[in-house]
Amino acid sequence: MEPADVVKTAFAMPLTSPSFARGPYSYTNREYMVVTYRTSRAALEEAVPEPLTFDEPLVRCEFMRTESSTGFGRYSGAAQHIPVRLNGQAGAYIHNMYLDAYAPISGGRELWGFPHKFAKARLAVERDTLVGTLEYGPFRIAKGTMGFKHRMLAQATAAGMLGEPNFLLKIIPHVDGKPRICELVRYIRSNIVVRGAWTGPCALELHPHALAPLTDLPVLEVVSGVHVIADFTLPLGEVVHDYLA
Amino acid sequence: MKADTVRKKAFSMPLHSPSYPPGPYRFIEREFMIITYRTNRAALEKVVPKPLEVIDPVVKYEFIRMPDSTGFGDYTESGQVIPVRFAEETGGYVHAMFLDDDPPIAGGRELWGFPKKLAFPSLRVEHDTLLGTLDYGPARIAAASMGYKHEAVPSEMALRALGEPGFLLKIIPHVDGSPRICELVRYRLGNIDLKGAWSGPAALELFPHALAPLSDLPVLEVLSGIHLIADLTLNLGEVVHDYLAK
Repeated sequence: MEPADVVKTAFAMPLTSPSFARGPYSYTNREYMVVTYRTSRAALEEAVPEPLTFDEPLVRCEFMRTESSTGFGRYSGAAQHIPVRLNGQAGAYIHNMYLDAYAPISGGRELWGFPHKFAKARLAVERDTLVGTLEYGPFRIAKGTMGFKHRMLAQATAAGMLGEPNFLLKIIPHVDGKPRICELVRYIRSNIVVRGAWTGPCALELHPHALAPLTDLPVLEVVSGVHVIADFTLPLGEVVHDYLA
Repeated sequence: MKADTVRKKAFSMPLHSPSYPPGPYRFIEREFMIITYRTNRAALEKVVPKPLEVIDPVVKYEFIRMPDSTGFGDYTESGQVIPVRFAEETGGYVHAMFLDDDPPIAGGRELWGFPKKLAFPSLRVEHDTLLGTLDYGPARIAAASMGYKHEAVPSEMALRALGEPGFLLKIIPHVDGSPRICELVRYRLGNIDLKGAWSGPAALELFPHALAPLSDLPVLEVLSGIHLIADLTLNLGEVVHDYLAK
């Protein structure tokens, strides 16, 4: 292949069969269970990178099921998001995220800077309970439960939650191991259509794991639970801070 | 966390619990089955990026068992390597690799530029046969076999094969989707301690898959099979060509 064609074709590895497709990345019927909990302020001070700041010591533990996403397929995930601010603008910093499919893991990491690792998440209805679980290898590391569709939540509330900006810390090393990219990235979901949103009683437990340190942000008190089903587009991001500049 | 600490700690994502640790990456009892086959020259010319040059219309199909590797753990890999020439030296262009373990996939892609995807390879002894299989999801996409340790191969020959450089095309997009890194990377294995090398009758079959297009380099004739066991270190790489340089 001629060098000029390499540059024209280059999007992701491998050159001739990229691990992830070019966007736009549209999600249909994506289902979330989000359990918000209070954690230790000192742990958050350590986890949240400047120039992001936070008001309350809160974490959102999310379990999600993606039924259909263009290019990425059908997969499930779990994550810890931290409500933060950038120059006063409220949003969420994505601290940990685990998925069970590699196209969105590699695309998430390399395009936006999602801190994706491979683990098996599941979000399912078990009789009266919405259950979210996360397993790293053979070990259960998180479990969330919620009463199934107990009380409706205003669509505007859910749309507001999905519509706020998200922040990522994108790090890619150079071939010599030194940081090549170290940037704070912001993305904002678009074309949000809320199919339904509910709240109800909820519970959450996290378990320690050397390579999936969810418990570094310990659960001190469960604050609230939200169950959302929505369609949206995941647009590309923009760099809002370059740590290497 | 202070911005200065972010800069100092930054190695890989996530910052506080990187997907892979910094090296050195040492492999103990690494076992290879490499089936060399003849393919279609036009198919190779289409996928080998210049300034690398195709030598002969030949592909090395590899299965690699890695039971003990620092930072990466216990995993198996399978894929296609194309013998190429770069300036005055010969080496192998890594065209496609499939692994069953997240840290070496993420680390391989982001540090060196290995074209790695998640799939499920295996390399094992089944009675008289050394057997390699590769499954993408539930679909079998490659199967290879060799007679088990039929003939010893001189260690100089095996060491020469392991000592050749590898070449990779590292591509990382910017957040806007445009290419941010597009580089030809060269790496070498180091501190090689060869434990054994054998040849024997060999066979290979590749199956079409939309996302794992191994059969785009079709098997026209199997030329040889080699089975190697060695301890070795995977060194970091160096950029030998920058496609984005103006």
